[in-house]
Amino acid sequence: MTEVGVGSDGAGGQDASAGAVAPALELSHVSKAFPGTRALDDVSFSERRGEFHALLGGNGSGKSTLIKILAGVYHGEPGGSITVDGREIPAERTSPEAARAAGLHFVHQNPAVFPALSVAENMAVGHGFQRTAVGGVSWKAQRRRTAGLLERFDIAARPDTLVRDLRPAERAMVAIARALQDQEGEHSGLLVLDEPTASLPRAEVIRLLGALTRYAAAGQTILFVSHRLDEVVGTADTATVLRDGIVAGTLEGEAITEPRLIELIVGRPLDRVFPEMPEVTGEEVAIDMRHVAGGPLVDVSLRLRRGEVLGIAGLLGSGRSELLKMLFGAYRIRSGEVALDGRPVRFRHIGEAMAAGIAYVPEDRGGEGAFFDMTVTENLTAALVSRYWKRGLLRQRVADADARQAIEQFEIRTPSEHQDLSRLSGGNQQKVILARWLLRRPRVLLLDEPTQGVDINARAEIYSLVRQAVADGCSALLVTSDFEELAHVCDRVVVLNQGRITAEVVPPDLTPATLTELAYVTPEVAS
Amino acid sequence: MSLTNEATTTSTPPTSPPTRSTDANARRDRILEFVERYALVMLFALTFLFFSVWSKTSGTFPTAANIRNVLGDQAVVGILSLAIIIPLVCGEFDFSVGSIAALSQVLCAGWMSRLGAPLPLAILGAVGVGALIGLSNGNTVSRIGVNSLIVTLGVSSVLVGLVEWYTKGQTIVLHISKDLTNLGSGNWLGIPRTLYFLAVVAVVVYYVLEHTPYGRYLHSIGSNRDAARLVGLRVEWLVLLSFVFSGLLAGLAGVMLVARNGNADPLAAGVPATLQALAAAFLGATAIKPGRFNVVGTMVAIFFLAFTVSGLSLAGVANWINDVFNGAALFVAVVISTVVGRKRAGLA
Repeated sequence: MTEVGVGSDGAGGQDASAGAVAPALELSHVSKAFPGTRALDDVSFSERRGEFHALLGGNGSGKSTLIKILAGVYHGEPGGSITVDGREIPAERTSPEAARAAGLHFVHQNPAVFPALSVAENMAVGHGFQRTAVGGVSWKAQRRRTAGLLERFDIAARPDTLVRDLRPAERAMVAIARALQDQEGEHSGLLVLDEPTASLPRAEVIRLLGALTRYAAAGQTILFVSHRLDEVVGTADTATVLRDGIVAGTLEGEAITEPRLIELIVGRPLDRVFPEMPEVTGEEVAIDMRHVAGGPLVDVSLRLRRGEVLGIAGLLGSGRSELLKMLFGAYRIRSGEVALDGRPVRFRHIGEAMAAGIAYVPEDRGGEGAFFDMTVTENLTAALVSRYWKRGLLRQRVADADARQAIEQFEIRTPSEHQDLSRLSGGNQQKVILARWLLRRPRVLLLDEPTQGVDINARAEIYSLVRQAVADGCSALLVTSDFEELAHVCDRVVVLNQGRITAEVVPPDLTPATLTELAYVTPEVAS
Repeated sequence: MSLTNEATTTSTPPTSPPTRSTDANARRDRILEFVERYALVMLFALTFLFFSVWSKTSGTFPTAANIRNVLGDQAVVGILSLAIIIPLVCGEFDFSVGSIAALSQVLCAGWMSRLGAPLPLAILGAVGVGALIGLSNGNTVSRIGVNSLIVTLGVSSVLVGLVEWYTKGQTIVLHISKDLTNLGSGNWLGIPRTLYFLAVVAVVVYYVLEHTPYGRYLHSIGSNRDAARLVGLRVEWLVLLSFVFSGLLAGLAGVMLVARNGNADPLAAGVPATLQALAAAFLGATAIKPGRFNVVGTMVAIFFLAFTVSGLSLAGVANWINDVFNGAALFVAVVISTVVGRKRAGLA
């Protein structure tokens, strides 16, 4: 499938082909400063036609800023330029219109598809419907046109299928097809994918990457933004890594390997991203769930021992988030029993769970964790406000002092504790939210995708913080879609599959491959 | 730039928070922030100065009598704007405050006038009715989940009708306690007595919003409701309570209205007063603590609006300018706060 891309790579080498053909995309000297930060500093790189080019970088590396300049959301500083197919846009004059005119097509992290509408209707949004003579929608023509697009982009769907009934990878492909539909037939322009795989399960990622490789082989130029290294290795023709606003390096073909990428992203070789795990776990049981059912959970029994990190491997929709919310009093338990430190508990609301020493870091940082327009102090102390209520006043100075200490302890990068949370990078926002709960010294820590949208450096820091809390006598229940992380971080992993615990994996069997296999296999086959 | 610093902080914790900004940038940021905070205060000062020296108003505007009059008149709208910011802080509209005040004033006056109720009972009853209406608003909004703007707009219309029914369109003037009307018209230390009451209410609301856990909780709910729930806040209950407080203060504003006017005019307060309060609340959110509804900003806004309107009418501008000005101020305030918000998010 990838012969075209790899072939041109191997045959001519970069210099020869670059000399012969004008690049499809060329960025030169793009810079951007925000008050207090230099987000991009003289960034230049180019991309050949039909190239699958990966853009990588940690949080705060400037890759989001770069994409926003390309999209015309931000303006660059004078002196830089962006050239697409020979058409040059000065960096200070980018705009959504200019991007569209130059043939830049964007698909973002959560593709803006309309789940309740059909594929045909989704295709018409932004493009316009096929019309009848009197101006109404010609559904026949619309369906025909959509069927053509679905075939061209190799999407397993029918025009009348509702988008919500599609598999996640297909949904992303519909968004891509919609973005590219206007350039019927030819492969001009540039497809920019901004972390399209961030919320997809592993199997869907593989599907989507397969489709993208095919599009590139057929001549589509792709700029693929990601922070998942395994997606880039073996897929991308070229990888450009940004770090602190500059191009840290560019790798080609075979040279794209995980260790090299990590080195460029982090700025130094990294022996181990994940902390060593201690061997011992006590036999004391912190949480004992017996035959719990409710929502998507059919029958779940598990034991979380004191001082261990127990992972839950499961796909989206397996009930993993609901399981955590049940333990936090945020989701109704229909039947079954839960015991905390040997005593049966049934939390009616979150406050009771918190009082019992349970903490919950939610999956959706923006939607359920962050108070963006409040300060770092206010975010850190959000779950302990009453601690600062003394003799009729909220002791703001005491809270600030505690916040400063937490900023140091948790290595949160912020100019001050008075900064609005929105000004911090994603990884540091996540550390603030984790710190908010660790400051309560919880007995049980429930973590739902704690490293989603977080760069590799912050990821390692977050897990070492979790490890530290566990060493201090806390127990953690970890949900993440990243089986590699589960395998590295957890002492033990249980597999949640269609509402039931179907397996328990302990070292030395605790590998990403085992977990993937167990999570995807249907319970019937497993038993 | 602190590239190396950034990359190595994993192994060695920073001894001081890393600062990426150069000194010049930091100074510019601080100046911008100062301007943003105090722009409204400066505008107020300039307007005041202008009317004091402008030939058309210099004879009447800067006199003790006029200043005292304007200050004294602001107690009612001032308390209403304090009432309205409590639900606004947690992201809810209470569009009924002006109408609650209208009802509360006719009930307070009516009970004294028609039933001979003693003053404390009349006041307690009127404030209590305000709180009850707030309870009903809050219940509908937070327990049933109806959009607060629609709920309170509907309730507001119902209350206007009830006032009309209760008074039959007549102003209630007889048998209103002298103790109450003295409070509304007299001065203490040369300052209108009503202003002291406004100051007390402002201090209480300021204290509640800024120095109690409850105030912090309301801010959190306004910032991100789901996140607030997940740090253990009883969101429904807290939101409900915010409407009870706003209803209670609106009821108090109704009592102040009787005190100030010495009677209960069914057309006093009502929807126009709500709009004035809303204008002050939004204008206030652009000042002192930009981006947040805050008590000090709201008070500055109230007096800015009042003195500007007074100056304009002393200059002989027609009465309708009043409404236009208040409406325009609301409009401009919302535009400014939106622009400021976008700038802060780095989108401008």
